[in-house]
Amino acid sequence: MKIFLAILTYFSYTFIIAMYTIKAVKYLKLPTHLRWELYPVMHEEKYRYGGSYFEQVDWWTRIRQKRYLRGFLFLLKEYFVLNEYFQKNKTYWYFLYPWHIGFILIITFHMLCFFGAVAMVFGITISSSSQSMTGIVFYYAILFTGVVSFVTGAFGSVGLLIKRIYDENLKQYATPLHYFTYIFTFIVFISGLYAWYFIDPTLSEYREFWKGLITFKFIDVEFGAAAHIILFNLFLVYLPYTRSMHYITRFFAFYLIRWDDEPNIRGSKLERKLQALLNQKVSWSALHIKSGKTWGEQVEEPKMRS
Amino acid sequence: MQIEDISKKSEQLIRIKPEDLMPLPCPYDTPDADPAIRELTQDQKNRYEASLDGVLAIGIPKPETKEKEEELIKKFLSGLAKLLTKENNWTFLQPLLHSLEYCVKCQICNDSCPTYVASGKQEIYRPTYRPEILRRIINKYLKKQSILSLKLTGSDIELNWTLIARLAELAYRCTLCRRCAQICPLGVDNGLISHEIRKIFSQEMGIAPKELHESGTVQQLKAGSSTGIAPKALVNIISFMEDEIEEKTGKKIKIPVDKEGADILLLHNAGEFMAWPENTEAFAIIFEAAGLNWTLSSELVGYDAVNYGVWYDDFQFAKIALRHAEVAKTLKVKKISVGECGHAHKAMMVIADRILTGDLNIPRESAIPLLADLVMNNKIKLDPGRNNFPITLHDPCNMVRLMGIVEPQRQILRKICPQFREMEPHGVENYCCGGGSGFAIMQSMNFPDWRSAISGRVKLKQVLETFQDVISPGIPKYVCAPCSNCKGQIRDLFNYYSVFEKCNIFYGGLVELIANAMVDIKKPFIEWEWH
Repeated sequence: MKIFLAILTYFSYTFIIAMYTIKAVKYLKLPTHLRWELYPVMHEEKYRYGGSYFEQVDWWTRIRQKRYLRGFLFLLKEYFVLNEYFQKNKTYWYFLYPWHIGFILIITFHMLCFFGAVAMVFGITISSSSQSMTGIVFYYAILFTGVVSFVTGAFGSVGLLIKRIYDENLKQYATPLHYFTYIFTFIVFISGLYAWYFIDPTLSEYREFWKGLITFKFIDVEFGAAAHIILFNLFLVYLPYTRSMHYITRFFAFYLIRWDDEPNIRGSKLERKLQALLNQKVSWSALHIKSGKTWGEQVEEPKMRS
Repeated sequence: MQIEDISKKSEQLIRIKPEDLMPLPCPYDTPDADPAIRELTQDQKNRYEASLDGVLAIGIPKPETKEKEEELIKKFLSGLAKLLTKENNWTFLQPLLHSLEYCVKCQICNDSCPTYVASGKQEIYRPTYRPEILRRIINKYLKKQSILSLKLTGSDIELNWTLIARLAELAYRCTLCRRCAQICPLGVDNGLISHEIRKIFSQEMGIAPKELHESGTVQQLKAGSSTGIAPKALVNIISFMEDEIEEKTGKKIKIPVDKEGADILLLHNAGEFMAWPENTEAFAIIFEAAGLNWTLSSELVGYDAVNYGVWYDDFQFAKIALRHAEVAKTLKVKKISVGECGHAHKAMMVIADRILTGDLNIPRESAIPLLADLVMNNKIKLDPGRNNFPITLHDPCNMVRLMGIVEPQRQILRKICPQFREMEPHGVENYCCGGGSGFAIMQSMNFPDWRSAISGRVKLKQVLETFQDVISPGIPKYVCAPCSNCKGQIRDLFNYYSVFEKCNIFYGGLVELIANAMVDIKKPFIEWEWH
């Protein structure tokens, strides 16, 4: 059992990192597209009312002030508040928010377990009565993130399931996979809650388990904790097949599309990239398009003069 | 109604009744205030695919044989496949894939869509409806997912001619205002999907509204302007405008044409020459008064800032953008300035930015900040007392939400219009006039009725609410719409509901207000004459 648990854990973490990396690289390697930004653009000086550099006469002669960090903080804040949902659909937010908090905290919980285990390898005891302040902080942080994630995640999963079933707007577009995801995540969170409440009130088993993974001295854990570990691992394998990557692609969407107001300056690297794209051959077959010619050839001819 | 119903044969997928539409304020708050959308004639129904909502924007002829139908289905699929390739669609592939792959169907965007809300929340106008159909077709027919996978992802849909014909029409029920995209926390852009669906039909199947393609971009490239104005006719129009300026203002102005080496090449939407010459006249008066070194062009395409390709076809778009740049290059101007036309702003300054390379990458700017500079720095003498009537500003989506030109027009209005008031919401959160994405020029069959009753409904509501305290026809009011297409839509919208007669609300551009306030013009420039 302990070998199985260890292999499954190594595999699931490697799998999700690999799958997400492949997806992210594939996405980032897509060609530069035409501009299609939407205002407000957060790095613009006049972002408060959605103004852009186009508001200036001879804008190309001005130095553009860009604050990329502002956009990053804006997106980060949205992760922790989900403000648009709160503004537009409060009842949905009441379930969506705890569900997301559940995810954020369960990931934090596992990361803390890992780092806690690293601390244990270096001789730090993790408990409420530890001699080390680090040990005490880890103890309470792990307990807090674990328990809160199990509770909020389970609540959110059930709430969203009910909402998707009874809200006519959502129901129409819900797929069996939506329902499966809610049920699955509910089981993952509730298994954690069960393990904590009935088996491992200090969550020490998870730390020991991670210590075993780091030192390659695998250990057996109680059935309840093992069940949660297995379910969470399976969840990690399942995630890349869902739209869950939106928490990463969201950054791409905002930075590479919605806020991409980079002008094409003569002689720039961007211009060279664009020239290469214009040299690609196209195969559209409507009558006004000459299939087999390049993009550039398509649009340049015939030259017409009055 | 279920999503998959789109491929099930029926005479009409939905029926729009006036009583289902979003209510309007006074004086349109009575049950009989809404004219019913005209029914198509039996002959039209026999000839065209009209089974979506009983409205025809494109008017696709019904295929005569089963074989023709099959051929069109194949073409649609091949077009869809091309839409997903780097070579054929580098222009929008990344935004498209993002929107197709990462929408979580939370439906938060729905209520931001003026068409969906105004229609009484008809399922087919929901911003997520079109993308969902496209996703299902991709999963089933291009990715060829297994039956189990199709069931799990809810992607089982039958692709047939009924679906394709309805989808083509449906792509023209979205104004591409992109309010839905603005609200999406994940950056999904359902407006873009409508744009991309239009491209499949145009670029692969040769299907597009006649007003956009045949008598739009094709005519523009061939004759010189989408209005059909040829260079020789333009010279006559300019001469007429010079005479009219003299008659109205007493000023003798020679409008510069093809002046080599001018600082500014001013590009108007050629619709102004035909429908609102006072707009181009006002530009001439203001630019002359400010002593600017400017010119118009009489070169083919060079006098029409219109670029309808931006709404339906990347190639037609790029061809026109290149012509504009070539004209500017030939004239050796320092920059192109775009007049009061929203989509021309977006097309020329933003989207074309990544098509124009090398010496065709001529600096391009909006005329609005230039006008704000003239007004705010007192480069022309103005008397705000001459514009002392209630006035509000319509924000053209292309200029504002899609380009971030928000404040210069407000600076002008705050300075020269004592009774300026904002409509709500405004700025980047504005509502489309209802004529976006080509709708304002699409006059096919009963589509103008739909455009006024549904896509323009929220704008009408906003205007009426803004003027509710002065709604009496005894008080003249002005909606400033610094965009030719928006003005066209507002004209048709007001006409449909007799707004001028019932409420005395006039519409016009921004420069007319500036010219109206110029102290050295004796008579009021604005004539309050209903067009």
